[in-house]
Amino acid sequence: MLIEPPHMESDESLIDRTLQGELTAFEQLVERHRGIVFRVAARIVGPDDAEDVSQDAFLRAFHRLDQYRGTASFRTWLLQITQNVALNALAWARRRPAETAVETPDAADRDPIQQPASALEERERRQRLELKLGALRPEYRSLVVLRDLEGLSYNEIADVLDTPIGSVKGRLHRARDELIELLRNNTYDWELPA
Amino acid sequence: MNAGDSPVDDLTPAERRLTRHLEVLRVSPPSGSAELVPRVIRSVRWQRAIRDPLVLVGAVAAAVADGVGLLFGRSESGS
Repeated sequence: MLIEPPHMESDESLIDRTLQGELTAFEQLVERHRGIVFRVAARIVGPDDAEDVSQDAFLRAFHRLDQYRGTASFRTWLLQITQNVALNALAWARRRPAETAVETPDAADRDPIQQPASALEERERRQRLELKLGALRPEYRSLVVLRDLEGLSYNEIADVLDTPIGSVKGRLHRARDELIELLRNNTYDWELPA
Repeated sequence: MNAGDSPVDDLTPAERRLTRHLEVLRVSPPSGSAELVPRVIRSVRWQRAIRDPLVLVGAVAAAVADGVGLLFGRSESGS
Protein backbone atom coordinates (compact mmCIF):
# COMPACT_ATOMS: atom_id res chain seq x y z
CA MET A 1 0.00 0.00 0.00
CA LEU A 2 1.26 3.41 -0.92
CA ILE A 3 1.65 5.79 1.96
CA GLU A 4 1.39 9.45 1.06
CA PRO A 5 4.44 11.37 2.23
CA PRO A 6 3.56 13.78 5.07
CA HIS A 7 4.33 16.88 3.01
CA MET A 8 1.73 15.82 0.41
CA GLU A 9 -1.14 15.67 2.87
CA SER A 10 -4.05 17.78 1.65
CA ASP A 11 -5.09 21.00 3.34
CA GLU A 12 -8.49 19.47 4.09
CA SER A 13 -6.91 16.56 5.92
CA LEU A 14 -4.68 18.91 7.91
CA ILE A 15 -7.72 21.02 8.78
CA ASP A 16 -9.58 17.93 10.03
CA ARG A 17 -6.63 16.93 12.18
CA THR A 18 -6.31 20.48 13.53
CA LEU A 19 -9.97 20.47 14.47
CA GLN A 20 -9.36 17.23 16.35
CA GLY A 21 -6.76 19.06 18.40
CA GLU A 22 -3.53 18.22 16.57
CA LEU A 23 -1.51 21.40 16.65
CA THR A 24 1.24 19.87 14.51
CA ALA A 25 -1.27 19.70 11.65
CA PHE A 26 -1.95 23.42 11.93
CA GLU A 27 1.79 24.01 12.08
CA GLN A 28 2.07 22.31 8.68
CA LEU A 29 -0.69 24.51 7.29
CA VAL A 30 1.15 27.63 8.50
CA GLU A 31 4.42 26.40 7.05
CA ARG A 32 2.74 25.61 3.73
CA HIS A 33 1.00 28.96 3.31
CA ARG A 34 3.25 31.39 5.17
CA GLY A 35 4.99 32.45 1.95
CA ILE A 36 1.95 33.78 0.11
CA VAL A 37 0.35 35.15 3.27
CA PHE A 38 3.49 37.12 4.07
CA ARG A 39 3.96 38.35 0.50
CA VAL A 40 0.38 39.61 0.23
CA ALA A 41 0.58 41.21 3.68
CA ALA A 42 3.92 42.85 2.88
CA ARG A 43 2.66 44.23 -0.43
CA ILE A 44 -0.42 45.72 1.24
CA VAL A 45 0.88 47.03 4.59
CA GLY A 46 4.62 47.17 3.91
CA PRO A 47 7.37 44.85 5.15
CA ASP A 48 7.59 46.32 8.66
CA ASP A 49 4.07 45.30 9.66
CA ALA A 50 3.79 42.21 7.48
CA GLU A 51 4.93 39.74 10.17
CA ASP A 52 2.30 40.99 12.62
CA VAL A 53 -0.43 40.95 9.99
CA SER A 54 0.56 37.42 8.91
CA GLN A 55 0.54 36.19 12.49
CA ASP A 56 -2.83 37.79 13.15
CA ALA A 57 -4.26 36.24 9.98
CA PHE A 58 -3.10 32.76 10.96
CA LEU A 59 -4.45 33.15 14.49
CA ARG A 60 -7.85 34.25 13.19
CA ALA A 61 -7.84 31.36 10.76
CA PHE A 62 -7.12 28.95 13.61
CA HIS A 63 -9.95 30.24 15.76
CA ARG A 64 -12.41 30.20 12.85
CA LEU A 65 -11.29 26.93 11.34
CA ASP A 66 -14.59 25.26 12.23
CA GLN A 67 -16.32 27.86 10.04
CA TYR A 68 -14.31 26.90 6.95
CA ARG A 69 -16.84 25.27 4.64
CA GLY A 70 -14.53 24.16 1.85
CA THR A 71 -16.49 25.95 -0.87
CA ALA A 72 -13.27 27.72 -1.87
CA SER A 73 -9.72 26.47 -1.37
CA PHE A 74 -8.14 26.91 2.04
CA ARG A 75 -5.54 29.22 0.45
CA THR A 76 -8.30 31.48 -0.87
CA TRP A 77 -10.06 31.50 2.50
CA LEU A 78 -6.77 32.31 4.23
CA LEU A 79 -6.02 35.12 1.77
CA GLN A 80 -9.47 36.57 2.42
CA ILE A 81 -8.63 36.73 6.12
CA THR A 82 -5.15 38.12 5.38
CA GLN A 83 -6.57 40.80 3.13
CA ASN A 84 -9.12 41.86 5.74
CA VAL A 85 -6.52 41.95 8.51
CA ALA A 86 -4.15 43.96 6.29
CA LEU A 87 -6.82 46.51 5.31
CA ASN A 88 -7.88 46.84 8.96
CA ALA A 89 -4.25 47.41 9.94
CA LEU A 90 -3.96 50.16 7.33
CA ALA A 91 -7.20 51.79 8.48
CA TRP A 92 -5.96 51.64 12.08
CA ALA A 93 -2.60 53.15 11.06
CA ARG A 94 -4.39 56.01 9.30
CA ARG A 95 -6.28 56.83 12.51
CA ARG A 96 -3.07 56.96 14.55
CA PRO A 97 -1.12 60.22 14.65
CA ALA A 98 1.60 60.16 12.05
CA GLU A 99 4.90 58.92 13.38
CA THR A 100 8.22 60.07 12.10
CA ALA A 101 9.25 57.61 9.47
CA VAL A 102 12.53 55.97 10.24
CA GLU A 103 14.31 54.71 7.23
CA THR A 104 15.50 51.18 7.76
CA PRO A 105 18.23 50.24 5.38
CA ASP A 106 17.59 46.96 3.64
CA ALA A 107 20.11 44.18 3.42
CA ALA A 108 21.61 45.58 0.24
CA ASP A 109 22.25 48.95 1.91
CA ARG A 110 24.11 47.26 4.73
CA ASP A 111 26.20 45.22 2.35
CA PRO A 112 29.69 46.68 2.55
CA ILE A 113 30.65 45.22 -0.79
CA GLN A 114 29.87 47.64 -3.53
CA GLN A 115 27.22 46.35 -5.87
CA PRO A 116 27.38 46.48 -9.63
CA ALA A 117 25.64 49.53 -11.11
CA SER A 118 23.00 47.37 -12.80
CA ALA A 119 22.00 45.72 -9.51
CA LEU A 120 21.77 49.09 -7.80
CA GLU A 121 19.70 50.48 -10.63
CA GLU A 122 17.32 47.52 -10.47
CA ARG A 123 16.98 47.85 -6.71
CA GLU A 124 16.18 51.55 -6.98
CA ARG A 125 13.68 50.82 -9.71
CA ARG A 126 12.07 48.16 -7.54
CA GLN A 127 11.87 50.57 -4.62
CA ARG A 128 10.24 53.25 -6.80
CA LEU A 129 7.71 50.72 -8.07
CA GLU A 130 6.95 49.62 -4.51
CA LEU A 131 6.39 53.26 -3.59
CA LYS A 132 3.98 53.74 -6.49
CA LEU A 133 2.16 50.55 -5.58
CA GLY A 134 1.95 51.81 -2.01
CA ALA A 135 0.43 55.04 -3.25
CA LEU A 136 -2.57 53.19 -4.68
CA ARG A 137 -5.67 53.13 -2.50
CA PRO A 138 -5.55 49.91 -0.42
CA GLU A 139 -8.46 48.16 -2.17
CA TYR A 140 -6.85 48.69 -5.56
CA ARG A 141 -3.44 47.70 -4.22
CA SER A 142 -4.87 44.35 -3.05
CA LEU A 143 -6.26 43.67 -6.50
CA VAL A 144 -2.98 44.40 -8.28
CA VAL A 145 -1.10 42.30 -5.73
CA LEU A 146 -3.45 39.32 -6.00
CA ARG A 147 -3.71 39.33 -9.77
CA ASP A 148 -0.54 40.86 -11.21
CA LEU A 149 1.98 39.86 -8.56
CA GLU A 150 0.58 36.63 -7.10
CA GLY A 151 -1.15 35.45 -10.27
CA LEU A 152 -4.46 34.43 -8.69
CA SER A 153 -7.28 33.63 -11.10
CA TYR A 154 -10.30 35.93 -11.34
CA ASN A 155 -12.35 33.21 -9.64
CA GLU A 156 -9.97 33.08 -6.69
CA ILE A 157 -9.90 36.87 -6.39
CA ALA A 158 -13.69 36.95 -6.51
CA ASP A 159 -13.70 34.48 -3.59
CA VAL A 160 -11.07 36.42 -1.65
CA LEU A 161 -12.94 39.70 -2.07
CA ASP A 162 -16.39 38.11 -1.90
CA THR A 163 -17.28 40.05 -5.05
CA PRO A 164 -18.67 38.98 -8.44
CA ILE A 165 -16.06 38.29 -11.13
CA GLY A 166 -17.35 41.09 -13.37
CA SER A 167 -16.84 43.56 -10.58
CA VAL A 168 -13.34 42.19 -9.94
CA LYS A 169 -12.41 42.73 -13.58
CA GLY A 170 -13.79 46.28 -13.63
CA ARG A 171 -12.05 47.26 -10.43
CA LEU A 172 -8.80 45.67 -11.54
CA HIS A 173 -8.94 47.68 -14.74
CA ARG A 174 -9.41 50.89 -12.75
CA ALA A 175 -6.64 49.89 -10.33
CA ARG A 176 -4.22 49.33 -13.20
CA ASP A 177 -5.22 52.65 -14.78
CA GLU A 178 -4.48 54.41 -11.52
CA LEU A 179 -1.09 52.71 -11.21
CA ILE A 180 -0.24 53.50 -14.83
CA GLU A 181 -1.10 57.13 -14.17
CA LEU A 182 1.16 57.17 -11.11
CA LEU A 183 4.00 55.69 -13.14
CA ARG A 184 3.42 58.10 -16.02
CA ASN A 185 3.86 60.97 -13.60
CA ASN A 186 7.45 59.84 -13.49
CA THR A 187 8.14 59.65 -17.20
CA TYR A 188 11.54 58.16 -16.52
CA ASP A 189 10.04 55.05 -14.90
CA TRP A 190 7.30 54.60 -17.45
CA GLU A 191 9.63 55.01 -20.41
CA LEU A 192 12.24 52.59 -19.06
CA PRO A 193 12.42 49.41 -21.13
CA ALA A 194 9.96 47.11 -19.39
CA MET B 1 -1.66 33.72 -14.83
CA ASN B 2 -3.66 30.83 -13.52
CA ALA B 3 -5.68 28.45 -15.54
CA GLY B 4 -9.40 28.95 -15.40
CA ASP B 5 -9.32 32.48 -16.69
CA SER B 6 -10.27 33.54 -20.19
CA PRO B 7 -7.56 32.35 -22.57
CA VAL B 8 -6.55 35.87 -23.49
CA ASP B 9 -6.60 38.41 -20.74
CA ASP B 10 -7.83 41.48 -22.59
CA LEU B 11 -5.08 43.87 -21.71
CA THR B 12 -4.66 47.29 -23.23
CA PRO B 13 -1.16 48.13 -24.51
CA ALA B 14 -0.61 50.27 -21.40
CA GLU B 15 -1.68 47.41 -19.14
CA ARG B 16 0.65 45.07 -20.97
CA ARG B 17 3.48 47.52 -20.39
CA LEU B 18 2.52 47.78 -16.73
CA THR B 19 2.58 44.00 -16.41
CA ARG B 20 6.11 43.94 -17.77
CA HIS B 21 7.14 46.70 -15.35
CA LEU B 22 5.73 44.70 -12.46
CA GLU B 23 7.99 41.81 -13.37
CA VAL B 24 10.69 43.55 -11.30
CA LEU B 25 8.52 43.06 -8.22
CA ARG B 26 7.42 39.55 -9.14
CA VAL B 27 10.97 38.22 -9.36
CA SER B 28 12.00 39.63 -5.98
CA PRO B 29 9.10 38.95 -3.62
CA PRO B 30 9.34 39.91 0.04
CA SER B 31 10.08 36.88 2.18
CA GLY B 32 9.26 36.56 5.84
CA SER B 33 11.41 34.83 8.39
CA ALA B 34 10.90 31.18 9.30
CA GLU B 35 10.35 32.45 12.85
CA LEU B 36 6.74 33.18 11.90
CA VAL B 37 5.69 29.53 12.27
CA PRO B 38 6.87 29.03 15.89
CA ARG B 39 5.50 32.50 16.76
CA VAL B 40 2.05 31.55 15.47
CA ILE B 41 2.10 28.18 17.21
CA ARG B 42 3.22 29.72 20.52
CA SER B 43 0.34 32.21 20.33
CA VAL B 44 -2.15 29.48 19.42
CA ARG B 45 -0.97 27.45 22.44
CA TRP B 46 -1.45 30.18 25.01
CA GLN B 47 -4.66 31.49 23.45
CA ARG B 48 -6.09 27.96 23.46
CA ALA B 49 -4.99 27.53 27.07
CA ILE B 50 -6.80 30.64 28.30
CA ARG B 51 -9.82 30.36 26.01
CA ASP B 52 -11.82 27.85 28.07
CA PRO B 53 -11.25 29.59 31.44
CA LEU B 54 -12.20 32.92 29.81
CA VAL B 55 -15.39 31.44 28.36
CA LEU B 56 -16.19 30.02 31.82
CA VAL B 57 -15.54 33.37 33.52
CA GLY B 58 -17.74 35.08 30.92
CA ALA B 59 -20.56 32.59 31.49
CA VAL B 60 -20.33 33.02 35.27
CA ALA B 61 -20.31 36.81 34.93
CA ALA B 62 -23.35 36.67 32.66
CA ALA B 63 -25.17 34.39 35.12
CA VAL B 64 -24.34 36.72 38.03
CA ALA B 65 -25.55 39.72 36.03
CA ASP B 66 -28.78 37.87 35.19
CA GLY B 67 -29.24 36.96 38.86
CA VAL B 68 -28.65 40.54 40.02
CA GLY B 69 -31.08 41.76 37.38
CA LEU B 70 -33.72 39.30 38.58
CA LEU B 71 -33.20 40.29 42.22
CA PHE B 72 -33.50 44.00 41.47
CA GLY B 73 -36.46 43.33 39.24
CA ARG B 74 -38.21 41.46 42.05
CA SER B 75 -37.39 44.01 44.73
CA GLU B 76 -38.59 46.86 42.51
CA SER B 77 -41.83 45.07 41.63
CA GLY B 78 -42.26 44.12 45.31
CA SER B 79 -41.90 47.69 46.62
